[in-house]
Amino acid sequence: MSKPSRAPKHDHEVRDPVHVFIHFDSDERKVIDSRPLQRLRHIHQLALTYLIYPSATHKRFEHSLGVMEVASKIFDVVTREQNISEDVKKALPEIAQPKKLMYWRSALRMAALCHDTGHLPFSHAAEEKLLPVRWDHERLTRELILSDEMASIWRGMTPPLRAEDIVKLAIGPRKASDLTFSNWEAILSEIIVGDTFGADRIDYLLRDSHHAGVSYGRFDHHRLLETLRIVPSPTSVEPALGAELGGIQSAEALLIARYLIYSQVYLHRVRRIYDIHLCDFLSEWLDCGKFATDVPGHLAMTDNEVTTAFQAAALDSSKTGHVAARRLAFREHFKVLYERNPENLSRNPRSGTAIFQACKEKFGADSFRHDSYIQKGAAYDFPVLWTDGSSVSSLALSKTLGAIPLVAIEYVFVCREKQHEVEKWLGENKATIIEKGKVVEDEEI
Amino acid sequence: MKRFKQDALLAETAFRLRARGSWCGETHMQKAVYFLQQLRNVPLGFTFVLYKHGPFSFDLRDELNAMVADGFLELRPQWPYGPSLLPTAVSEELRRSFPKTLGEYGHHIDFVSEEFGNKNVNELEKLATALYVYSECAHDSPRERARVLHQLKPHIPVQDAYEALKHVGQLAEASA
Repeated sequence: MSKPSRAPKHDHEVRDPVHVFIHFDSDERKVIDSRPLQRLRHIHQLALTYLIYPSATHKRFEHSLGVMEVASKIFDVVTREQNISEDVKKALPEIAQPKKLMYWRSALRMAALCHDTGHLPFSHAAEEKLLPVRWDHERLTRELILSDEMASIWRGMTPPLRAEDIVKLAIGPRKASDLTFSNWEAILSEIIVGDTFGADRIDYLLRDSHHAGVSYGRFDHHRLLETLRIVPSPTSVEPALGAELGGIQSAEALLIARYLIYSQVYLHRVRRIYDIHLCDFLSEWLDCGKFATDVPGHLAMTDNEVTTAFQAAALDSSKTGHVAARRLAFREHFKVLYERNPENLSRNPRSGTAIFQACKEKFGADSFRHDSYIQKGAAYDFPVLWTDGSSVSSLALSKTLGAIPLVAIEYVFVCREKQHEVEKWLGENKATIIEKGKVVEDEEI
Repeated sequence: MKRFKQDALLAETAFRLRARGSWCGETHMQKAVYFLQQLRNVPLGFTFVLYKHGPFSFDLRDELNAMVADGFLELRPQWPYGPSLLPTAVSEELRRSFPKTLGEYGHHIDFVSEEFGNKNVNELEKLATALYVYSECAHDSPRERARVLHQLKPHIPVQDAYEALKHVGQLAEASA
């Protein structure tokens, strides 16, 4: 007797250390199995952070699945009938139309899945220097979503998805400045890439802290997700992604977690200098010092190719990029000479630049590297649904949010070989350098 | 324009807006800078896109954040709206370092502060979007522009859109 034939399986799931299970259907599995998504199995989420936090070896692939999961949860909460006010229904008519909601939920999930496909090897390391002018990873993501391979998948889905809609939601208005976003599309893109409650941020904080083995990025995301709402803005009729009053503490926890993990992991001084050494290596090793921007060229390049290259170059002084490769492979990284601090900043806001310039002039440019970063995006201001149905600014409600500092770093690094000599010299001359390096109007053109 | 020169102009704008009674939150600064660039040709160099609340610059948002981090501006929360941006004592020193720049562009900042300093966010959104449409649809008739503005911001009635476009048109001609 033959076995009864089993109906094909349309619902699938994978295990995940952050969300336990991630579910997807057969259409979505085609996207997961596509080359742009599979490539992300070979792109480290946190670049070379594993050289400092050894277990931070997770990849963009599982993060992309996680963003899809979180984005869907946010969508389901904020579009739930009892969570939508009449004002919001009026401003966003799509929210009351089940067919449209189903379409946009699907587009949102696919945008979440694809949002990182344009990342270069080792993720964020020095995009500006390693891509041609006017290119960044968001533009590469856009090219991939619009590529022939993906376009045929979008057309075959039920319902078929418009690639342009996925582009908008995946990269948001900041990076798709040539596209016009409706209020509804702006909110959906905020669900993925938003500064405060974006699924991207929520997943990477949880996932990165899990894999790095630190507690800094953790917060009660289950509670937070349940309290998110589309809220009328305190100052305008156009709604935005915010939280109900009961969610303010979990939002505080999210933003504190974000501040701590940026300070302790993402902007760790040794991680930053490794990024710079990697950029030095790539600038020499790549053709014309740039990554390819065509789809086949992008898909062919992962962390594996780069790692193989710098490991080989480190062992052979005749190979291109040998010096930078040694610093990566043999942990011969530069050391911190100067670090941003309130005292120097109050005397001269460009103390770091002044010290970097003075050191280069005295000891030679090759021995120093300069690095700075200031937190981008919205501060900690988001709308909170007030008891009477109106909304108020989170910063007007929460003193905790107002007390979280903005993340800002600045480092000057020096090569190990000259470290002691330079430190001695700088100790004797620092005050003069900072004073002489003050902003002069005619030098600022 | 280099960063500290830009920051000196932004701090001066916040200072003068507040002197005209502005709440001077992020939206007020966004719209003031848009008017400075688009109406008065002050080369601050920010890229604006049409977004929620009208023309908006993500670069400017980042720069205002950086100014808070560097101590040039501070946030003062006020119920129930978003916080005000206050120029600090540190920014006074920065502004003193750029006398020629402030001399060159100060009257434009005065113009914008005088014209828009007392406007609320809804009015600023309407006028800034009107200026956006006025510039982008330069060859369309006034009625057609009003229709476009209403289409972009359906909560602005066509007649209000028409009036706003007329007003920014007069300002643009006076500034030319």
